[in-house]
Amino acid sequence: MRFQLNFTSTFLTACLTIMSLNAFANDASAIDIDHAYIREVPPGAMATGSFLTLKNNSEQEVRLVGATSDVAKKVELHTHINDNGVMKMRQIQYISVAAHQETKLQPGGLHIMFIGLQKELKEGQTISMTLKFKDGSQKSLTIPVKSVMSPMNHMHHH
Amino acid sequence: MKKNIILLLIASVIIGLSIILWLIMPSQHALSSEHKIATASLSQKPVGGNFTLTSASGPVSLSDYKGKLVLLYFGYTFCPDICPTNLGNLARAYQQLTPSEKEQTQILFISVDPDRDTPDRLKQYADYFNSGMIGLTGKKSNIDNITDRYGVVYAIHQEKPDETTYSVDHSAFTYIINKKGELVEQLPHATSSDVFTQQIRHFMTQHP
Repeated sequence: MRFQLNFTSTFLTACLTIMSLNAFANDASAIDIDHAYIREVPPGAMATGSFLTLKNNSEQEVRLVGATSDVAKKVELHTHINDNGVMKMRQIQYISVAAHQETKLQPGGLHIMFIGLQKELKEGQTISMTLKFKDGSQKSLTIPVKSVMSPMNHMHHH
Repeated sequence: MKKNIILLLIASVIIGLSIILWLIMPSQHALSSEHKIATASLSQKPVGGNFTLTSASGPVSLSDYKGKLVLLYFGYTFCPDICPTNLGNLARAYQQLTPSEKEQTQILFISVDPDRDTPDRLKQYADYFNSGMIGLTGKKSNIDNITDRYGVVYAIHQEKPDETTYSVDHSAFTYIINKKGELVEQLPHATSSDVFTQQIRHFMTQHP
């Protein structure tokens, strides 16, 4: 009897914990980030891109609406349109991640663009970036700098 | 007991074969499908031809490289993604070549953003790719004449009229010019370094 009571109360606590997590859930906590990096910048270049995978673990669409970082004057969300071989880069207002889906930011497509770099970025360093979501929640990341010249960085970009 | 050993042997053979197949199959498949896209894109053949532009160490003409295979790319140093991706792949392809193949290969990067890309900035940028790449620029009228002949389209894209951080829409093909100075191939954006190496070797041996 005592065992049963203990078990029931543990079970109820577990249920409540899960429910409360859901109740407090915001966009930032619904999103997992994978494969995040920022590209090393050739000298003379003024801008670079950051790439990552956004994974939405919630039942609702989540929108990434912006990002900030102290390494650049401006950080914007961008996409590329391939118009018959002409690559057109355009600023976009948000990047959508559907419920239980992934959105990949990768070379040639969606990326977070860093404009007016405040310092030279070299492979081996890390930088901080904060992602902002539609509901106002934020997620801070520390991401590595990677070079297009390292063959190792091309292993999983198929 | 004996049965177990036989089963174990069969299992190891199957696993071994699968690993060998897995190692062989995907790379070949990727190469052939990428090449198909690459060759399909050259439907209307641009004429190409000679040009003279400015590098950090003076004027450079395409005809200076007769006897070499030239890989030509149009872009700009402000370009955050498309150009570094292509030039990185191209540079890593170059680094896979033998010393004698390297001697017969020249990569040229022509700016479609002459207002911001000075010869010195282009040199710094090209040197980063560690592949003997030369950055070139010139008067807009001269660049327009060359882009016309190579079928390159580019347009400055400004969100606001006085914006200095504008981007440039541009064709992202890599052009291959044979040892006689003739335009022979254009490869699409994001061609892998392996396909670049394969194509360089192909056109190098065509006119030895």
